[in-house]
Amino acid sequence: MDIPYTVTARKDTGLYNAKVGIWLFLASEVMLFGGLFSGYVFLRVYADFPWPERALPVVPGLINTFILIASSVTVVFAWAALKMRKWRQFQVYMVITLICAALFMVLKAVEYNAKWTHQAVRMNDFTVLEGHAHKFTIDDSGKIKHYHPGGHDDGHASNQFEENGMFLVADKEDDHGKSSGGGSKTEHYFNQVVFEADKITVDLERFYAPIISDLMEQAQKQGREIRLSKSVAGRPDAQVAETILAEEGDLLSLGLLKKLQGIHLDAKANNASVRTKQNREAWAKLRGGLSRKERNEPSYKIKDRLELDPKFDEFLVETSSSVTFTIEPKVTFVLKPQKVKEGPTSASFKDGTLLGGKLDEKHSQIEMAADAIDFRFVAQRAEEKGIDPELAIQNTWLMKNNETVRELWEVHNKHIAELEEKLAKKGKEPTDTERYRMGWQELVNIGEGKEVMDAFSGFAGPVHAIGEAKKSHYSRHFPEVVVPREEVNLESKFTPRWNNYYAIYFLITALHGLHVIGGIIVLGYFLFFGKKMYLNNPERLANRVEVCGLFWHFVDLVWIFLFPILYLM
Amino acid sequence: MADSVAEIQKAKKLYTLIGLILFIFTGVTVAVATVPFLDVGGHGFDSADMVLGLLIAAFKASLVMFIFMHLNHEKKLVYFLFTMGIIFGIFLMAITAWAFSDPIRYGKGTTISEKSGFYNPERAPAN
Repeated sequence: MDIPYTVTARKDTGLYNAKVGIWLFLASEVMLFGGLFSGYVFLRVYADFPWPERALPVVPGLINTFILIASSVTVVFAWAALKMRKWRQFQVYMVITLICAALFMVLKAVEYNAKWTHQAVRMNDFTVLEGHAHKFTIDDSGKIKHYHPGGHDDGHASNQFEENGMFLVADKEDDHGKSSGGGSKTEHYFNQVVFEADKITVDLERFYAPIISDLMEQAQKQGREIRLSKSVAGRPDAQVAETILAEEGDLLSLGLLKKLQGIHLDAKANNASVRTKQNREAWAKLRGGLSRKERNEPSYKIKDRLELDPKFDEFLVETSSSVTFTIEPKVTFVLKPQKVKEGPTSASFKDGTLLGGKLDEKHSQIEMAADAIDFRFVAQRAEEKGIDPELAIQNTWLMKNNETVRELWEVHNKHIAELEEKLAKKGKEPTDTERYRMGWQELVNIGEGKEVMDAFSGFAGPVHAIGEAKKSHYSRHFPEVVVPREEVNLESKFTPRWNNYYAIYFLITALHGLHVIGGIIVLGYFLFFGKKMYLNNPERLANRVEVCGLFWHFVDLVWIFLFPILYLM
Repeated sequence: MADSVAEIQKAKKLYTLIGLILFIFTGVTVAVATVPFLDVGGHGFDSADMVLGLLIAAFKASLVMFIFMHLNHEKKLVYFLFTMGIIFGIFLMAITAWAFSDPIRYGKGTTISEKSGFYNPERAPAN
């Protein structure tokens, strides 16, 4: 059976059916993106943090806009070619359209990658730092080796350089004579909590297997054994005397934990039912043996005490709710900051697992090459409280403890004073961003002793190594900032976790990207599998391409709004 | 709708022209946002820049809609469907916007509308 109205128009609508369908779909798309745009507006209006305005590098977004407009033109050309029955021309325009779409996605990936690898830190006093955290490796004996991008470590020059968070030169040297490309691959860590533990206490009720497995794996890598510090004794059965449930020195394993957990939970359930019985009986006694129905008024007074019968106590059993393991010698654990709450002598996980030992403060602190130092949030909070922003900035931890930052701030203020003077002639004044944020161009220029404030720009973000720097051991003069972990309020990459702007940015652009991918699939289908339909019913293929073209134009339309809103406002 | 070959050839010229205009106005959007000399309103980003940016975007969008999507000569049903989409889209935004006039109090005497400065004490219900 033929599908009706694929070519001819229906009398009542005046359109072929697919066109009605695509316009219905586009109407729903308008509502979907309209809702998201209104989400953006409200997030921005109610933002309780300085909205990152004009924060994204414009060039990739601009190129992507050009690419999408170009593909919009070629897709309509492809349709026109079909209308004129020129298959070859159709193929050419469709291929160009698809190349444009693919380029768009590649650029999007470059942009996303730059954000996912860029570190942001918000301190307790609302100072915001952006940059790249230094990395370190940990060897089999738990010894930590620190790398500085382009810098020196223990007298060895390291050949690590970063650009947009990506290391350009792989780690070739290895202190232990093993090739890192061989059997044992060295893992590089950024910004982690390093904790030397000699004790692990596991909460038997709440422990979460992946956390325990991770700890066991790390200990195993360093050749350590985690053993039970003392025998676990208990009375899981009321009829039996106390027995040893696990021997001192037993190896930590999920099996052991699950066994102990089972025993503990059974015991808990048993105790609960014994207590219930005991209480029930005591209450019945208080009521004089009458049920609720039988008695008209309470047979007890408030002051009456519930007398629990001690005969039940012998049915209670005992097991411990947590077990402690010791590690001999210590293990250096590398832990994700968002998963652990660390103190000087202990570190706890969300599942109640507790590490005892010593926090390696030196390696746990955030060390980064900062490519932006941002006091806008400090200034905003200060203004809300009626404090002079400059005073608040002078009192931040960073200004008090980092001489380089103080010097940079001084130069920055000099620049701002000049700018203020220049703008005052026109009756204007600097923006908060100019006033309170030292961006990466400025930091580099000040570091290299240049007077220009804004001379070059990176493609998708700050550039940490340029030209010769990629080959030699030289990197740009980004200030080295070291922040102890207790001063950090939030650390994140530039992901939805960092703030609402990136949340809505990723939501809308990712959804838009999915539309592009959908368009690639359908247009690609017409290009590669359309020949047969072209030979049988060319008008129907032309209509199909027109309908998909309408969708493609809509995708372009959304981007036409997204580009200025996300990149330029 | 362009159906004859000659008409389509003519339409193709129009599409190229519109493509060019879109390219140019993309450049204009970036220029007014980044070149200090072309900055409208106060220094840096402000509401004037926002209005200008959105106007240019709306202009570009309408070119795409009317020329590329053929909305300059469509059947009635298409206009109906698309307009309904836009109306419901605006309605969605309006629902969110009504949060401004929400009289429900959160905590001690703070409503969303008070926070936003849209608060009218005369209309507030007595506690």
